Amino acid sequence: MSASNDSSSGFVQVKYNDEIVRMFTLATIIWAAVAFLVGVIIAAQMAVWQLNFNTSWLTFGRLRPLHTNAALFAFAGNAIFAGIYHSTQRLLKTRLCSDVLGKLHFWGWQFIIVLAAITLPLGLSQGKEYAELEWPIDIAVVLIWVVFAINFFGTLLKRNEKHMYVSIWFYIATIVTVALLYIVNAISLPISFFKSYIVFAGIQDALVQWWYGHNAVAFFLTTPFLGLMYYYMPKAANRPIFSYRLSVVHFWSLIFLYIWAGPHHLLNTALPEWLQTLGIVFSVMLWAPSWGGAVNGILTLRGSWNLLRTDPIIKFLVAAITFYAMATFEGPLLSVKAVNSLGHYTDWIVGHVHLGTLGWNGFLTFGIIYFIVPRLWKTELYSKKLANIHFWIGILGILFYYISMLAAGITQGLMWRAIDANGNLVYPDFVETVIRIVPLFFYRAIGGVLFLAGFVLLLYNVYKTIKQAPKDLADETVQVKGASFAVSHSERGHRRLEGMAATFTILALIAILAGSVIEVVPTLSISKYVKTENKVKPFTPLELAGRNIYIKEGCYTCHSQMIRSIPSEELRYGAASTIEESMYDRPFQWGSKRTGPDLARLGKKYPDLWHYMHMENPRAVIKESIMPAYPWLISSKIDFENLGKTISLFKKLGVPYSDREVSDTIASAKTQALGIAARLKDQGVKEEMSDKKITALIAYLQALGQKGEK
Amino acid sequence: MKQQALAHFTDIYLIAIAFFLFLSVFVGYILWVCRKGKKKHYDYLSQLPLHEETRT
Repeated sequence: MSASNDSSSGFVQVKYNDEIVRMFTLATIIWAAVAFLVGVIIAAQMAVWQLNFNTSWLTFGRLRPLHTNAALFAFAGNAIFAGIYHSTQRLLKTRLCSDVLGKLHFWGWQFIIVLAAITLPLGLSQGKEYAELEWPIDIAVVLIWVVFAINFFGTLLKRNEKHMYVSIWFYIATIVTVALLYIVNAISLPISFFKSYIVFAGIQDALVQWWYGHNAVAFFLTTPFLGLMYYYMPKAANRPIFSYRLSVVHFWSLIFLYIWAGPHHLLNTALPEWLQTLGIVFSVMLWAPSWGGAVNGILTLRGSWNLLRTDPIIKFLVAAITFYAMATFEGPLLSVKAVNSLGHYTDWIVGHVHLGTLGWNGFLTFGIIYFIVPRLWKTELYSKKLANIHFWIGILGILFYYISMLAAGITQGLMWRAIDANGNLVYPDFVETVIRIVPLFFYRAIGGVLFLAGFVLLLYNVYKTIKQAPKDLADETVQVKGASFAVSHSERGHRRLEGMAATFTILALIAILAGSVIEVVPTLSISKYVKTENKVKPFTPLELAGRNIYIKEGCYTCHSQMIRSIPSEELRYGAASTIEESMYDRPFQWGSKRTGPDLARLGKKYPDLWHYMHMENPRAVIKESIMPAYPWLISSKIDFENLGKTISLFKKLGVPYSDREVSDTIASAKTQALGIAARLKDQGVKEEMSDKKITALIAYLQALGQKGEK
Repeated sequence: MKQQALAHFTDIYLIAIAFFLFLSVFVGYILWVCRKGKKKHYDYLSQLPLHEETRT
């Protein structure tokens, strides 16, 4: 029994469920180790290409999604759940609604993470950043999220504290919005257990993806952590939040504005101008609530600044909020079109992201872990000194990482756009711009190693703390005043609203739906934006098979397919990309990073043999290339069988394939493959290549930018 | 109807109206949050994380 009533005094005993918090805390630590380690590995691969080991499941393209998913869903996800379950029970003065649902949530989430850790290195990917997981895992994510939501809202319903503290609002917004984002962005149609296609295409997919992608940052890495900040900062400093009024304004402004900012990931692209403008305007406006929240967090320490010298927890929390302020200053700056034209596709963005994840999410989580572990295990922290050392090593790691990436990004961005007096590119060979920044990749890897080393100290500290803990870890039991559920009619405004969880949730939903509907719905009528004179042919079946390989190998993690309307870019790659050129692309592959050049108009630029040699060993054709080799594409076979299902599905989704093209899918793919294989043979390739993956990939690469019939 | 709405989506007057609407809501909201007489309630709320219940 978790609670007992004492009707005579009006008090009830509440036994908090701390076991579930302990479980999520340990999971956070374990998965953090994995996420950070994989991060260090892929950072090292950028500096030393040999570390790809010519092995499919160890290449950068497959490990990078593993790193991002592990950091986002495994590390940050478990941290959020631990913090939310710990703070919610205490803020609402009640035990978690259901222990069974809590355990189902925990084990379900860990199972999903394990599935992701297996499938992503195998190349089972939807090819959408931060949304790579294939459809069965997507369904599992949604189901487990619903379990979490039921447990959270059930706890809200049985609360003994009528008013919902601001942290609870942030948790509500997180739960509702993540559900909406994840479901909409993952609407796909499967052709097999391991392969599905997103229903949105081209510009629609781009917009929905970045509406999701940006708001994954907003509602998975920001709002829940802000909720945690509003709880743990006052707890650690033993002082109330600086301004509760500011927190009210912070919450509503932030959730309303954030949802509109997604299009800033697509500036200077083929995305309609009005959407780009909305993305910029709302991103710039985000400065205000973000800094309002940061100031509110830091000023909570007013009068207790001495804690910054003595308490490692306060150090972590204050540094985290400072990094939040830095990242949310830089984000709107990068959303200004002119700055974005320089920074986008470069390592500056990678540095920016890590300023937020390592600094804000990482340090806030470390602070919370150091705070709750001794309390949950009913002991003292093993070593404050180690925690202090962890802090300084971690800070050093972040600075190494960020400064090197900022320098690399600006350097490369400036080199890409350099045009001489005759109107020619100063650095026409893309690889020149890569060689220049490779030394900075080493510094980045050192930064990652330092951050990981600091984390190992946390690991050891937590291990020793738990080891010295008493065996009996009974859940904490407290006596609280019993619930008075009814909201008083004399209460008005926000005060009344805070007592009405359902109404509050609906209002929060309306706030995030406003921007979502206004931005996303118009683009669903894609015909408004497509110029009928710009006819585009869809990919042939073999080209689609090649496209699937391109997605499987994670080529989009290093190559874009979107030539922006910027003079230097058009000089380097050709005419700016149009909406029509990607209108049948599922998923879109505009990309977000160029470690290698843009590929939108790669087709027919090089002979088939060049691509064959390049994939087998990139150094054979570009001496200084840092791209991994893909020798397995030359030995493994094309999956012709699923092509029929793919073409049939695409036709249903509106791609103009004729009935004959649908019925002759496999035959036509094999015929095209024979043609490419024959050309390869003529050019000196000895083995028969007509059924090998490399042939399909060559077909796809040669088709890029060749489908227009203007 | 939908086509008409989309056709006027970038209309300057529509943008001006939307801006005025957003700004009014925001200013009204700030005034509402900051009005007098709520200090006691906000103080109570801000103390919620610090309430230490009696352990049994």
